[in-house]
Amino acid sequence: MVNSKRKKGVRMKDLKHLEYFENLLQETNNDLVREAQGEGRKAIGYTCYQIPEPVMNLPGCFSLRLSAPRVGGIEMGTYYMTSMTCEYCRALVERNLEGGYRFLDGIIAAASCSQLADAHENMEQHGITDKEGFFIEHVDTPMKSDENAVNHIKTICEKRIFKPLKENYGIDTSDAALRKAVEEHNEVCRLINAIGEYRKLGNPPITGYEFAVLTLATYTCPKDKLVKKLKETLKEIKTREPDENYKKKYRARVLVAGSEMDDPEYIKCIEEAGALVICDRYCFGQNPGRNEIILNDDEDVLTQVCRQNVMENQCPRYMGQQKIKSRKDYVDKLAKEYKADGLIYQQMKFCNFWGYERAACSHIMRDEYGWPVLSLDRPYVAANSGQLRTRVQAFVESIEIKKIQGGAR
Amino acid sequence: MGKKMNSEPLGTLYNGGVTKKRREWRGVKDTWYDYTRWLGNWGTMAKFMLNVQNLKGFFRYRWMSNFLSVPDFVDRHTEGLRGPQLRIAHKEFDFIVAHATGTIANLFKGDANIGGDPEWSKKVVIFDENMMTHVINGFPNLTAVTREIPPIYMGSVMRQDGILHYLDVAEEYGVPSDVCPMPAGELGLAIEDDYPQVGCCIIHCNTTCDGSLMGNGIEDRRFDVPTFEVAVPIRYTDDETKDYAAQEIRNCIKFIEDVTGEKFDWDAYFKAMHTFNEETKLFLEWLDVSKTDYPQVVGNNVALYRDAYYQVAGGRDPGFLKNEQEITEIMHKAYEAKTPIVSEVRHRAILWGVQAQYYSAFPAWLQNCWGIQPLIDMLSLTSTEIYSEDDKEQAMYDLADLYAKENMRNRSEGGYQVGVEDLWRFCEEFRADIVIMYEHIACKAMTGYHGLFEEEGRKHGVHIIWVPHDLMDPRTVSREEMRQSVNQYMHTILHEEPLDASLESINDGEAW
Repeated sequence: MVNSKRKKGVRMKDLKHLEYFENLLQETNNDLVREAQGEGRKAIGYTCYQIPEPVMNLPGCFSLRLSAPRVGGIEMGTYYMTSMTCEYCRALVERNLEGGYRFLDGIIAAASCSQLADAHENMEQHGITDKEGFFIEHVDTPMKSDENAVNHIKTICEKRIFKPLKENYGIDTSDAALRKAVEEHNEVCRLINAIGEYRKLGNPPITGYEFAVLTLATYTCPKDKLVKKLKETLKEIKTREPDENYKKKYRARVLVAGSEMDDPEYIKCIEEAGALVICDRYCFGQNPGRNEIILNDDEDVLTQVCRQNVMENQCPRYMGQQKIKSRKDYVDKLAKEYKADGLIYQQMKFCNFWGYERAACSHIMRDEYGWPVLSLDRPYVAANSGQLRTRVQAFVESIEIKKIQGGAR
Repeated sequence: MGKKMNSEPLGTLYNGGVTKKRREWRGVKDTWYDYTRWLGNWGTMAKFMLNVQNLKGFFRYRWMSNFLSVPDFVDRHTEGLRGPQLRIAHKEFDFIVAHATGTIANLFKGDANIGGDPEWSKKVVIFDENMMTHVINGFPNLTAVTREIPPIYMGSVMRQDGILHYLDVAEEYGVPSDVCPMPAGELGLAIEDDYPQVGCCIIHCNTTCDGSLMGNGIEDRRFDVPTFEVAVPIRYTDDETKDYAAQEIRNCIKFIEDVTGEKFDWDAYFKAMHTFNEETKLFLEWLDVSKTDYPQVVGNNVALYRDAYYQVAGGRDPGFLKNEQEITEIMHKAYEAKTPIVSEVRHRAILWGVQAQYYSAFPAWLQNCWGIQPLIDMLSLTSTEIYSEDDKEQAMYDLADLYAKENMRNRSEGGYQVGVEDLWRFCEEFRADIVIMYEHIACKAMTGYHGLFEEEGRKHGVHIIWVPHDLMDPRTVSREEMRQSVNQYMHTILHEEPLDASLESINDGEAW
């Protein structure tokens, strides 16, 4: 893993499979999804981390976190949900009206926030697909990290996810099947985390953009079909020569935290403005979504899966002072681990949860944890935003000035 | 000008200032009655101010000045009313005034900021603004106080610019300007350290919305007391959520017991729930009469009062029940006498969505200006279940049900059925031909249904008049702009002329 022996003055080559992964992100119904469906597996769409992934990745089905790649205008979504709601939600409604989710065999619609719940309702009212066996389950999700919440999400999984999967498609929902799903889940997590380890290096052989593409693919494709390419990518990164212009191109290392992010171009935009993204803590990202699920033999698998989801959950919708503080501690820990110079808190505009969390963190992480913090809101598709570049450039300069003056970190 | 309804142009009373240019003339009997009640409210406030602790609170907190507009607040909500409706309105609003002074007195009594009694503070449990307080029914030795209601909720209702300062504080802190002004204002108040420091613990709830939940988490940093968060299911109508919700209630009770050393008193709980049930039965009578050709307890006379007794009082104050029994008696007499509320009812309306706090008197304007009779509003259409008065296990589920059906969230959460579908059922039951659709532009829950409401409204043949507002911030959408939304629809779509043309456009931008 250590790359200190690498020769200096070598330019970082493109990742062999980057284009392959990028292409997978261009469509919700991408090549791997079609391939898996061609094998008779059922595609189960979902929108939120609150639903543990393995319960939808049982043998015979696979999970697919819904996004709306390459969405253009969202006028219809705006008509139905007004211009004052989250663009991710509006984009989902828009894409659904375009018929973009007709290939799905089911949707687990988590009522994680009001807007997402409304988006799901809109989708259902407009019709999603006429495929036989298709189901949409609107499900409640917990808001606290305690055993009552564990029991709650477990009940939801059993009655609202396993039941239709079993009844509609004959999916095996046994403990053994779920254990297998967890193993597959963990394999992908291990690969992503192994690649992510290289981001801790002083001169990382992978950019934040590249890592965001890889990670996002693990949410939007059947996981087992990514393993081969991910392994090859990991192998490639082990010997990949970092960019010789690293210090010139990237003048600061940043951790990006915040709300839903399925747009790697946003990360690219940040990096083009001089800040290398070395760690993430957002939905569709690595932390905590790509944590392995460690199982024991003492308790049923579903309870363990649910417990990890509830206890490790970093969503701001989770209540309680202890949990609220632990979210800040978690970001602080990650930032230290990855040797960040500063934090970027980004929020999808009109997201209530992250609107408050971002505002609070912009004070707390600076005043109490000593991190330079950039606080941003953004639309669903924000690539090539001049405003974003200007903000990031100014942030990078402020970090540099602090370093020169011997200020914080 | 006289006893008869709509006998004078009410718009002429507005002169661009904070108060009207003169008291409305309603005939000798009604005007005298109204005047004595006006004096009564001043008396309530004067009595409140005679207490030294309250006086100290008045000068400590800038939001207390909002309460100087109480008489005007009552005037706004009784505009145009005569006879029984005037009496029903005063019974409700004057009771609210008295109850509010009690709430504020409870806050100040133990407020450390003004040298309050720490022993009293140890017996006070703080509840969220929009949260059912019924769990405290089982703790007769404790006092539940909804700390945010006097400065924020009432502040905005009393005067339209009542909480703008706190909104600005929250925005300066970094909270986006698109969030709901209610939790934003509450947070601004905390940042300014303008909350009375009272209470031994805080009970939060994920009501009424995601923003409210988030604001609470940050606010708590200003209070050094333990907190408990009641996580109420969003999809509360689903059977799978019931056990989870009931367990949250059990955990909450245990938390209060642990913090205060008190034990849950089932006798006290069931006694309060009996009172609450009796109130529900009366409310159902009100609804039945509202469905007839001679509705009586409607519009302004139901919304705010229902909030108060349903959520804040929770059956603990038998004074509410007595008041409602008297109101019901007036209602029945007026119904039997076929007493109308306005000179001409042209349309029967359901008010849906979240009302504008800074224009809570909007229903009065609808009926006086256009003859649109608001029959019931979404926030009042909460639970009408009769809850157990003797079953301890069922009580946990009852409380969970009540917490889910808190008066703002019970339709903004819960899904399409309760948020959209139920509206058409109510239109049918109340024989309403118009829906006044309050569009609280910062409410991320209800705005997500916008397009579906329009499509379904057309299918059901109901006129939907969209009235945008920003709940507690009239700078975004003014009262006049709210009125214009209705005026335009009435003129251009329905081709009607107002009952009282003087009210069509009034100069109340600077009014309280």
